[in-house]
Amino acid sequence: MEMTVNIVRMIERDQIEEFSFGNDISLKEKLAIGFVNPKDFDKLGLVKSLHIKLSNNYGEVIISQVRDEKIPEGSILMPVSIWSNQITGVENGSIIYKNLRVEVEPTRDPILQFKDLIAKIVINNK
Amino acid sequence: MEIYPFLPKTNCKKCGYPTCMAFALALLQGKAKVDDCTPLIDEKKYKENHEKLKELMGGAEGKEKELHIDVDKDLCDGCGICVTACPVNARYCLPTLSGKAPDYPPEKHQLFQVTDGKCELLDLKSCRRIEAEGRERECTVCENYCPRKAIKINYV
Amino acid sequence: MMRINCSGCSLLCDDILVNTNGTIIEQVIGACKKGKQRMDQLNAKNRIISPMIRKNKELQKVSWEEALNKVKEIVKNSSKPLLYGFSTTSCEAQLKGLELAKRINGFIDSNSIICQGKVLNAAKDSGITLTTLAEIINKADLLILWGANIADSIPRLLNKALFSRGKFRLTGREIKTIIIIDPIKTASFEVMQMRDTALYIQSDKDIDLIRFLKEKISTSKEISENKIAGLDKEDLKRLIINLTNAEYGVIFVGQGLLRPNPEYNVLKELIELVRVINSKNEKGRISLTLLGGHYNMIGFEHVSLSFYGKNHSLQFSDNILIKTSDTIVSKVANDDFDCSIIVGTDPISNFPYFLSNKLASKPLILIDNKKSATMEVADVFLPSSLTGIECDGLAYRFDHVPIQLKKILNPPNGVLSDEEILNNIIKKINNK
Repeated sequence: MEMTVNIVRMIERDQIEEFSFGNDISLKEKLAIGFVNPKDFDKLGLVKSLHIKLSNNYGEVIISQVRDEKIPEGSILMPVSIWSNQITGVENGSIIYKNLRVEVEPTRDPILQFKDLIAKIVINNK
Repeated sequence: MEIYPFLPKTNCKKCGYPTCMAFALALLQGKAKVDDCTPLIDEKKYKENHEKLKELMGGAEGKEKELHIDVDKDLCDGCGICVTACPVNARYCLPTLSGKAPDYPPEKHQLFQVTDGKCELLDLKSCRRIEAEGRERECTVCENYCPRKAIKINYV
Repeated sequence: MMRINCSGCSLLCDDILVNTNGTIIEQVIGACKKGKQRMDQLNAKNRIISPMIRKNKELQKVSWEEALNKVKEIVKNSSKPLLYGFSTTSCEAQLKGLELAKRINGFIDSNSIICQGKVLNAAKDSGITLTTLAEIINKADLLILWGANIADSIPRLLNKALFSRGKFRLTGREIKTIIIIDPIKTASFEVMQMRDTALYIQSDKDIDLIRFLKEKISTSKEISENKIAGLDKEDLKRLIINLTNAEYGVIFVGQGLLRPNPEYNVLKELIELVRVINSKNEKGRISLTLLGGHYNMIGFEHVSLSFYGKNHSLQFSDNILIKTSDTIVSKVANDDFDCSIIVGTDPISNFPYFLSNKLASKPLILIDNKKSATMEVADVFLPSSLTGIECDGLAYRFDHVPIQLKKILNPPNGVLSDEEILNNIIKKINNK
């Protein structure tokens, strides 16, 4: 299903704070997450334990999801983190963080840990 | 108000309060007992109302209810709106008029202070709900203006 | 108890009290959650206090001499170095960074080019009406948040702007109006009361609203359309009445308005709209305000403009500044560099994936005070101290007012400030 993603700053989900005072598990739980409207939640056939996979021509990422009524229909909200930057890109010389088009599908695949994302970068290069 | 419909509504003043509405408020705050209203016991037509009222109050009558203001530390983000908006703080602490944090050690009448990034309630005695008269007793400024809904006023 | 200036965000509050015993900070009064986080970085578990070099794919602790020699070796072997960051350092360190870029023929840029610097660039031809925090506290009676979520990025700004009782607004909250224009219901919407308006605009349709307002206000015609950008006729009427009758209005420009478009420039049209409103309004005026997450993003623009004549994206060659239309994004995307020096920021987490790939593929030198994603791919790490707590410095607030930050504690043994580290690198490169 095609939807749009908005990446915003949330004061209770901050990557620097989790690095300084949390651990690997709290980092993944708090930041690799997306907020979904209840109508989209039902249309995709989601339940609490499923993950969702977002993919577009910049990349793809797997995150967990939470049902929230304040989100408008057709869009997903994500906090700023290294997971959300797997699907951002550059347009007209600027980095875009709002209204990104993605394909969404439910999946049972696991969410990548922080060190796996770093390993993906290192293997590609050095 | 679930209590008022069961009272005689005659304003006879036998309980010591000027109107039945004032007696109902006093019952809620624990300052009066159901049996203070003598027509409820003396007259037969009020027997059902009497029993219903006793059931509603359920043994919690006569005990003075205390004011509690609870701050949820997990929701609070330290913005300090409660410090600036509280009318008691505005009267006694001059820096809060322009949004600044008050001095330390806190003033005698200061109610709120932001310590270590979270809001903290200092001393409840100066709150308007206890000390003031008339409409000022219904002050709910801290509960209404908190953007994270972390402050709750209740009577226990 | 002593009074200090907080360096958590670009508001730079000056009414914070701290209690310290000489080595750590024990109690903080008055600071919000972001300020407390900044003070906690002093002894957080991911703080690093010794220089490191990558040998055999692992980072190992070394002396300052060995680390600086490795930096000199990387820079001497490159012809197109890149410098990036500088928004969490003092102005003195930014000046040293510009000097280093000039010495090694590099390209230097700061975080503001992907953030609020776009607004100042759009104002180059026509000028812009800005305002200061003291005027907002004492005079403002209309606040408009356009694409900005202040409750999550700068928590105390709502407190100071909306709830304070300034000299000319002594009744405080009751006399001020706030209007929020945003497609999503954020935490800032919770402060609205009876006379405020919430406008849930459709995504990416801000340009339609700006053009509609400009036409209606300059010609004073009746509104005949039913819906513009998803907003009703009644809401639009209220917005126009508020804009034209305010005594002192402020528009906060947030990330929601900063998305670029090849056909039109939203920021230029917004500045033109403010000019039209001010010419129609007889007794009042409207101003714009920028926001920012890091505490010295605006400082880099001031320093580079005063000393070198250009406020962003400076390219040096043969010790002089040459003309270029590149930015940090185009330089990295086109692979137009061969080593990078990152100061006080974390691009591997904040850039898109394919850009961080390219950054990590070349030698990377990091100057920071904590472990982050960029450190996992860095070749050299140089530890720095926290400005505002462990060393002095000058910083610029979000409304372009300079504030002096002071030192209250000594840094850990062997840790230097950003300015001293960059100075040592210049001296090392100058030695034969």
